[in-house]
Amino acid sequence: MNSLDPRVNRLPEINEPVSPKAPLDQFGTFEVFVQPKEGKPFQHEGIVHAPNLELAYVLAKEAFTRRFTCTSLYVVDTRDVFISPMTEGDKNTYDYIQEPPEKADIGSSFEIYHLAKRGKQHVHAGTVQAGTPQQAMAQARQQFKTDKVIYNVWAIETDKIRFTTAEEKELWLTLPEKKFRDASDYKGGDKLKEFLEKMIK
Amino acid sequence: MYGGGNTFEGIKTDSLAQEDPAKLAEFEARIERGEKIEPSDWMPQLYRRQLIRMIEQHAHSEIIGALPEGTWITRAPGFKRKMALMAKVQDEVGHAQLLYSAAETLGKSREQMIEDLITGKSKYSNVFNYPTFTWADCCFISWLVDAGAIVNQLANAKGSYGPYCRALDRICAEESFHLKYGHHCVIYLASGSAKQRQMFQEALNRWWAPMMHFFGPSDKISAHTEVLMRWKVKMGTNDEMRNQFLDMYVPKIWELGFTIPDPNLKKNPETGKWEYTEPDWEEFKRVINGGGPCNKERLEVRRIAEARGKWVREALKSNKTAYVTPLA
Repeated sequence: MNSLDPRVNRLPEINEPVSPKAPLDQFGTFEVFVQPKEGKPFQHEGIVHAPNLELAYVLAKEAFTRRFTCTSLYVVDTRDVFISPMTEGDKNTYDYIQEPPEKADIGSSFEIYHLAKRGKQHVHAGTVQAGTPQQAMAQARQQFKTDKVIYNVWAIETDKIRFTTAEEKELWLTLPEKKFRDASDYKGGDKLKEFLEKMIK
Repeated sequence: MYGGGNTFEGIKTDSLAQEDPAKLAEFEARIERGEKIEPSDWMPQLYRRQLIRMIEQHAHSEIIGALPEGTWITRAPGFKRKMALMAKVQDEVGHAQLLYSAAETLGKSREQMIEDLITGKSKYSNVFNYPTFTWADCCFISWLVDAGAIVNQLANAKGSYGPYCRALDRICAEESFHLKYGHHCVIYLASGSAKQRQMFQEALNRWWAPMMHFFGPSDKISAHTEVLMRWKVKMGTNDEMRNQFLDMYVPKIWELGFTIPDPNLKKNPETGKWEYTEPDWEEFKRVINGGGPCNKERLEVRRIAEARGKWVREALKSNKTAYVTPLA
C-alpha cells in the first residue's frame, strides 16, 4: 500500500481471500445490564457478542462502562432472557400473564425487568422465586403489578447471570480520575479570549 | 461520526402497495404520536430496509472514521493530546459496536454487515476517504467533522426507531468530549506560531469541500426523502443539516481568523439561510463509488485486520453459545 502512515505500509500482504467469511465468527449474543450508581436499579444497556459468558463480561465492561459512572455490571446469554408480549397505549403486559398456580414451585430465583416507557430501557423491578420462567412472570404479576402500565417484562434466572464480584468493583474506581475524557477538561475560553484581544490590537 | 442523508436507496412508488393498509395506518399513527417503534413491533419492509441501511452505514463510518485520526495517535503533540486522541478513537470504535447492535435488532447479522463493508458493498461516510497529511487535518476532523456528525446525530436521536435512538443518546453524550477537545486543539493552533496557523489554514482549505459533501447532495437533486421524513427515519433534509452546521460553526472558524475557501459563502440576512458555491456533486459520487484518494487503503486496512484476527476468532470458537437477534 502507498499510505501516508508508515505503519499501514508495513502491514503484511494478505494472500488468501477474507471473504466470504466462515460462519465461525458469529459469536453468541449476550445482554448487558449496568448499575450506574450505588442504590440505583440495574438497567439494560445493550448487547455484546462473545464466545462465552466470561468474555462477554470483559467486552461489556469496555463497551458500556468506559466513560460514565458505574458501580456494577452483569451479563447473561440472550437465550436465557424470557420475555412477555410487548404492549402499547394503556394495555398492561401483565394482563396477558396468568396468575400463578396455588401450589407454585419455588425452585429458583429470577430477576424481573420492566419496560415502563416505550423507547426507554428495561429497568430492574425485583427478584422472585419460581420453578420456571413462566411461573416467574406469574409471580412478578402478583408482586409487582400496580396501576402503572408496564409494556414488557423480562425474567432472567439469577443463576445464569455473570455478576460483578466484590473485588471487581475496583474496576471502576479510577473512572473519575480520567478527566481527559470529559468535555469539562477542555476549557479553551481563556486562551481564546486572550487570542481575540491580541487580534484586535 | 456520520454524515447522513446521501445514501438511501431509491424508493419505488409501488413498494408500499404490498403492505397491509390497516397495519400501515396504525404504524404511521404511532410515529405521528411521537412513540418509538421497537424491534418486536410490526413495520413496513421499506422502513426496515432503509433503517438497516442507514444504521449500518453509520456503524461503518464510525469504524472507518477511526482510521484517519488513529494514524496520528503516535504523533500527537504531547502526552495529553495522545491520551485524549486515543480515548476518542476508542470511543468511535465503541460507537460502531453500539450501532451494529442496533442494526442487528432489525434482522441483519453483524457478520453480514462486516462482510458487506470489506467487500465494498456497503457505504460509509465519504469524508473518511481523504488523507490526514498533518496534525492540523486531524484537528479539523476532531472539531468540525465531529461537529457535523453531532448535528446529524442529535437530529436522528429524535427519530422513530427505539434501539437506534438509545444508541445515539449514548453516542451524543460521549461525543461532547470530542467536540470540546477538537475545538481546544484548534484554538491552540490558532493562537500559536505563524506556522501553526498556516498549518490549520491549509487543512481547512483541503477539508472544506469534503465537509460540504458530508451532509449529502442538495435537496434539489436528492429525492425520495418525503416518506422517510414522515416515518422519522430522516429527521431533516440534507440542506437543512448543512445550514445548521454552517450557522453554528462558520462564525467560530471566522472568530479564529481563518479564511473559508469559498468566496460565495455568506448568510442571507433575509432568509436566514447560508449561501455557498454549489459543492461538486460529481466528485462526491466519484468518491462514494470508490474513487477517492483513500478508499482502497481504508478497506484494505479493515480486510487485513479481519484476516489477522481470524486465528483469534477460531481459537475462541465455541458451540455453547449461539448468535441470536438482540432483544432491544
